[in-house]
Amino acid sequence: MTTVPTPSLAGEVDLSPEPRRLAGLGAVAPALGLLALFFVVPVVALLLRSVLEPQPGLQNYAEVFGSTTYLKVFGNTFLVAGLVTLVTLLLAFPVAWFLAVAPRRWSALLFGVIVLSMWTNLLARTYAWMVLLQGTGIINRMLMQIGLISEPLSLINNLVGVTIGMTYIMLPFMILPLHATIRTLDPTVFQAASLCGASRFQVFRLVFAPLVASGVAAGVLMVFVMSLGYFVTPALLGGTSNMMLAELIAQLVQSLLNWGLAGAAAFILLVVTLAIYAVQFRYFGFGGGEAR
Amino acid sequence: MLLDFDRLGWLRYALCLVAVLVGLFLLLPILLIVALSFGSSQWLQFPPPAWTLKWYGQLFADPEWLTSFFVSLRIALTVMVLSTVIGLMASFGLTRGRFPGRELVRALFLTPMVLPVVVLAVALYALFLRIQLNGTFIGFVIAHLVVALPFAIISICNALERFDIAIEDAAIICGASPLEAKLRVTIPSIRLGVFGAAIFSFLASWDEVVIAIFMASPDLQTLPVRIFSTLRQDLSPVIAAVSSILVGFTAVLMLLAAFLRKDKPS
Repeated sequence: MTTVPTPSLAGEVDLSPEPRRLAGLGAVAPALGLLALFFVVPVVALLLRSVLEPQPGLQNYAEVFGSTTYLKVFGNTFLVAGLVTLVTLLLAFPVAWFLAVAPRRWSALLFGVIVLSMWTNLLARTYAWMVLLQGTGIINRMLMQIGLISEPLSLINNLVGVTIGMTYIMLPFMILPLHATIRTLDPTVFQAASLCGASRFQVFRLVFAPLVASGVAAGVLMVFVMSLGYFVTPALLGGTSNMMLAELIAQLVQSLLNWGLAGAAAFILLVVTLAIYAVQFRYFGFGGGEAR
Repeated sequence: MLLDFDRLGWLRYALCLVAVLVGLFLLLPILLIVALSFGSSQWLQFPPPAWTLKWYGQLFADPEWLTSFFVSLRIALTVMVLSTVIGLMASFGLTRGRFPGRELVRALFLTPMVLPVVVLAVALYALFLRIQLNGTFIGFVIAHLVVALPFAIISICNALERFDIAIEDAAIICGASPLEAKLRVTIPSIRLGVFGAAIFSFLASWDEVVIAIFMASPDLQTLPVRIFSTLRQDLSPVIAAVSSILVGFTAVLMLLAAFLRKDKPS
């Protein structure tokens, strides 16, 4: 048996061959290079085009903010994102609560459904809603059969269609952070509150609500931001009269070849997105649960 | 009391009701697609007048669908391998490294995940037009790699942070080279994180549609792009067949993930 030198753990065995100060830089280099070349450079280049094309200046931004057509797209984008966030929160809160307190078997089953839905191909899910909501679709036919309506409702290519389809897709992203927060709550705090004479409503308002506020904020901000920049579902379930920002950017590039204007719209979307993340980071930390 | 299921009173029924309704809301559309893919109605009547396999027949008889399927698969598998390897290296650098600006680099690595995809899609489209990577296999792989990498890094970093570095040090003291210790001790211990990275990277590429819409050429279309452009024209039941296959695919991946989780080392 060869004698193994007995070094002190931290000191003499040098676990990284590189000089300490730059240790790890080599390992991150491939990822760093990839993202610099194919993420930072193109995004910055696109944003630069917004102030350089067709000639240097801010005329693209003037055009975006000066035209009622584009302003309507912004308004519609915020309307849809806000509506989707609200509906998602109202549905997700009870579900997250249920998941945290229900017997394990039930919550596991519901979890399975949530994950299946989240992992199912986005287009497959959107297709399902196109089939369900169309004029001759299942929902309309069922409502007509039971005599609730006599003519098909228009549920697709409008605000209703986008809201339903987006809510369907965003629900898991609201349920999961909410559940992560509620799960970590300490039941004894609630017992203490009711022992001290608080009514159930008071416990909810004074103990439960403040404790889950950070989780709610995390879920709300995430769903709102994701909805703002969403492309696929609005493109398929929405109508021409309520176009959203992502679609506008795509159209400016693909059909109008107006790169300057597309860059300006992209920059605005980017600023709003990053601003909301900054708020979240500043006030709530990154995740839901642990932040106070 | 609000956290004790048995003492919730009427609230308990309200929570159950919403949970069941939301569960059905999430589940039924997926089941419906599978049912319709076996239904005979061209107009997607439900319940279907009769059952048939003809949409699957049409799907597999159309070489374009098969080509797209294999294009997607090839891209996703390449992205999966590259993203896992690059992500593994980056995660080691991030968790063990002490270089200046490390937190900035970490933030940069996660940014593609939080940015609206459409911005990245348009930006990459512009760049790829210039350097002639549009509509090429390499172009697709690069673009999807940017999207997939954050998922790989998160998954592996989480696993690495939980791993006790003293075990790796012990292997080195016992005579392993630093690389050998990583390959034979550390990586096997964090394999769940690595598998997770691989699955998420695969899915990130396999399901990616926004960038692909810009990037696709008539000769090179991924499966999601073909579905998207077909959906813009009509709601053919063939799409229900494709979607059902994708749902089946997802179910298999979920089972695989559940199986891996059971295998968790204590």
